[in-house]
Amino acid sequence: MSSIELDHVSKLYANGAYGVRDVDLSIGEGEFVIFLGPSGCGKSTTLRMIAGLEGITSGDLRIGGRSVNNVAPRDRNIAVVFQSYALYPHMSVRDNMGFGLKMRGVARSVIEEKIRDAAGLLGLTPYLDRKPAALSGGQRQRVALGRAIVRDPVAFLLDEPLSNLDAQLRAEMRLELVKLHRRLGRTIVHVTHDQVEAMTMGDRICIMREGRMIQVGKPLEVYADPVDTFVARFLATPPMNLLPARLTGQGDGLVVSGDGFTVEVPDMHRAAYAGLAGREVIFGLRPEDLHEAPQPGFSRIEVTVVAMESLGVENILVGQIGTGGTAGKPLELSARLSRHFTAPVGARVPLYLDPRPMHLFDPETTRAFPRPSLRLVTN
Amino acid sequence: MRRIALHLGLLFACAVILAPLLWVIRTSLLPEHLSYSPELMPAATLDNYVALFTTTRYGQSYLNSLIVAFGSVVVALPFAAMTGYAFARFKTSGRAGRFAVLATQMLPPVAIVLPAFALLRTVGLTNSLTGLIIVYAAVNLPFLIWILMGFFEGIPVDLEWAAQTDGATAWGAFWRIVLPVSLPGIAAAGVLGFILTWNEFLFALVLSGPQTATVPVALASLQTSNGVQIAKVSAGVVLAVLPLVIASRFIQRFIVQGLTFGSVK
Repeated sequence: MSSIELDHVSKLYANGAYGVRDVDLSIGEGEFVIFLGPSGCGKSTTLRMIAGLEGITSGDLRIGGRSVNNVAPRDRNIAVVFQSYALYPHMSVRDNMGFGLKMRGVARSVIEEKIRDAAGLLGLTPYLDRKPAALSGGQRQRVALGRAIVRDPVAFLLDEPLSNLDAQLRAEMRLELVKLHRRLGRTIVHVTHDQVEAMTMGDRICIMREGRMIQVGKPLEVYADPVDTFVARFLATPPMNLLPARLTGQGDGLVVSGDGFTVEVPDMHRAAYAGLAGREVIFGLRPEDLHEAPQPGFSRIEVTVVAMESLGVENILVGQIGTGGTAGKPLELSARLSRHFTAPVGARVPLYLDPRPMHLFDPETTRAFPRPSLRLVTN
Repeated sequence: MRRIALHLGLLFACAVILAPLLWVIRTSLLPEHLSYSPELMPAATLDNYVALFTTTRYGQSYLNSLIVAFGSVVVALPFAAMTGYAFARFKTSGRAGRFAVLATQMLPPVAIVLPAFALLRTVGLTNSLTGLIIVYAAVNLPFLIWILMGFFEGIPVDLEWAAQTDGATAWGAFWRIVLPVSLPGIAAAGVLGFILTWNEFLFALVLSGPQTATVPVALASLQTSNGVQIAKVSAGVVLAVLPLVIASRFIQRFIVQGLTFGSVK
């Protein structure tokens, strides 16, 4: 009933630039989907196309199986929560929340009841007669959500709804949104550029870049197996370390070596990477796969400390490896280490690299060379 | 010390600006034969005001001015609001269209007043308040469109999108959300339009007759071949300034008032 299907949908602007390019996605009923990407990647445009606020140049958009390419926003029964909240400033909280129902000609008593329910759910009951200007940022955010909820739409489209909140409130609202989704069971499309929101809230992440949807999958799948260097770097802070390297065969084994590091390819990946021997590659490893203590199978590298960031729960080391070679600029990498590990800036420290979650990317196309998923192997 | 010096400076500046107005008020309250007296306030009387209403048609003109100024604003504002909104939100005729609207404002009024007269004569509306209202509405329209266009551009489009997804049509979003939100701007534009019309002289002179003269024309007619009736002119000017003082208070309130505060962010 409330599934959303984008069938090769594109948005071409008058100046010939693509806003959204050939997006093909099927969102199931009741699914919580995240559109993630940097600003200008087309995620908000895609959302507005689903809402009907932006026209579609080509492709087909179906909601609940019905093509809605030429259906006005008001006839799609979809609720949008905007980044700016877009509350009607001249109306009280009550009227803001009731506006959608009033437009649909719902009886006053029914509207009143729905507003009361939603206000109770969101803790807005004491503020029903206030104007938006007299509310805090978090309360306005709730009113915007309440306005969407009372209408009982087939799907909620959330356009960076948490980005104007402070960090603590954002964490709270993140949880509340997830709870709300479980409670209402409605389809939610949530646009964000925040990796934490993307990882924690959705059933699936859709990563967008330059108008294209480049990877769609469960958060942990996308995290474990990024399709290219962009996704590898975008999905976490600090991002995945990407080091130029060369893959060479050594006897039975394979070795990835670059300026200042040599890593033996673990057995589990050898078959997948065997055909690449002799090639230039980009070696990718997440900061949490660098450790301060050796373990069997780990590779040792020497790092010069450039900065230490103490986050309390852990310490992030930013270091340089290698000599810089002909380029003259040493490679930089970051490592998530225990909060007990400290080293002064400028010191040379050994780090131990767990090669099992390694990735190899093609330096020309930036695409990942396929290998068995680590998650499947360890399961 | 610096604050005192600053305030003295400001007081002086105020005095310079207000001096002519204060002098007019003084003259309006003096008997006619003392109008040019060098003394500050040799006597006080309301005779000039009484004479203005009993011996001239100033009262009639005042009423005409009010009707014409209000009327032209009432006629022009809806068109200005809709056109301004269209320019602000849609790509209607692009930049060229926006500036074409201003074209009439670029011409000297004299270039328009004669064609306007010819037009009104064909439809038999010279020497009528209706004719004046139509002409003033037309002449002020571009100006009002531009002011309102600015106000509408300042309203976040998110508000209209929210209204549309909430079930409103494009017109509904304009009527129920954009208009109420931009009410201060519309009011300010209305007051400005009122002031423009109230002060206008050339069109009124050419297009009106004795029955339909507006305040500026009535004041000008007090400068007769027998000399300027300075006492009556002063009284008339004081009364003519009155609505402007009230209007400027309104404008201040509307413009200072935040436009969309609290709706976004």
